[in-house]
Amino acid sequence: MERYDIAIIGSGPAGLASAINAKTRNRKVIVFGSSDLSKKLTLAPKIDNYLGFYGIKGAELRDKFKEHIDNMGIQIENVKVNNIYAMGEYFSIMTSGDTYEATKVILAMGMEHTKPLNGEDKFLGRGVGYCATCDAPLYKNKVVTIVGYNKEAESEANYLSELASKVYYVPMYRDDYELTQEVELVKDTPVEIVGQNKVEKLKLKLRELETDGVFVLKDSAPPEQLVPGLEVEDGHIKVNRKMETNIEGCYAAGDCTGRPYQYMKSVGEGQVAALNAVEKLYTK
Amino acid sequence: MVKEINDSIFDEEIKASGEPVIVDFWAPWCGPCKMLGPVIEEVSEELQGKAKFTKVNVDDNPGVASKFGIASIPTVMIFKDGNPVDTLVGFRPKQSITAAIEKHI
Repeated sequence: MERYDIAIIGSGPAGLASAINAKTRNRKVIVFGSSDLSKKLTLAPKIDNYLGFYGIKGAELRDKFKEHIDNMGIQIENVKVNNIYAMGEYFSIMTSGDTYEATKVILAMGMEHTKPLNGEDKFLGRGVGYCATCDAPLYKNKVVTIVGYNKEAESEANYLSELASKVYYVPMYRDDYELTQEVELVKDTPVEIVGQNKVEKLKLKLRELETDGVFVLKDSAPPEQLVPGLEVEDGHIKVNRKMETNIEGCYAAGDCTGRPYQYMKSVGEGQVAALNAVEKLYTK
Repeated sequence: MVKEINDSIFDEEIKASGEPVIVDFWAPWCGPCKMLGPVIEEVSEELQGKAKFTKVNVDDNPGVASKFGIASIPTVMIFKDGNPVDTLVGFRPKQSITAAIEKHI
């Protein structure tokens, strides 16, 4: 398999700042993200605190970023990264499609602002999970509830319904839901996951569901789920001055490392991360 | 070396005298398990003689899996004197697995 020098997870300001700096030093780089780069950037009405761009619209600044990476021949891989495994000498990067390998990883996936459900942490691995298809066979002939934050969750629900005795789908967004007949749609708000030693019920505002498992499916899993073994403090990835995490070869930059959530902080951190990653590649 | 064990010999195998016994619960369809396999193998080389390493295929051995409430794999359990003393759910890097085991050596 082709191994990249640096894999950058995220296409916001931090990820792009990492990418251009790594590319400048001739490293083989791959950037995972979305074609519109960053939803938050696109939605920002006006930005006055990005040095050199007084009064610019978020979408305009995004277009400038796009032009910058295009000029340097940097492309965005438009796929979702599900897991990153620290194998020791390299990282294995799992996406919904292919698997990739990289010597260094820079995490720049921003912040997931939705809070975990009550009981989610407590029952993690004891009935609560973040990847339904991964654990599906363990729920053969059992009852599974999926709390879905995006469209992709619907297909996971459909797949699970082939194995589980019952599948409930609790959508956290408004849309047309493409679910098979076996999946029961529950339009209600989750309140708490309860049980003794393992998950027994999901309590919602209007009703209670008896269930053996609850899968919480979001755009991005919490960082410690994305990169097993990663040290996280108060929901943010712990880094030092060099943007190194507790896992050797794994760096983090931008909102995911903590406040303030600002563009200049993100690009600065992205640059520091990339330059340190490049230096380590040289000295090895 | 990691020894493949099953439902019928499980109780016997985890009763090693003194040293901790590590059990890696896995299944062939599980991606993260495939990643963890070689990592556990490496750890077992490093801690040779200090801990005993085993693995259980949960597809073939539902008895043990349900006895210990394995609801997500990979799960690594550490036993001492036949009793579970630690449970690690999900993939972990080598460093963190080694550290968890060394606490019980």
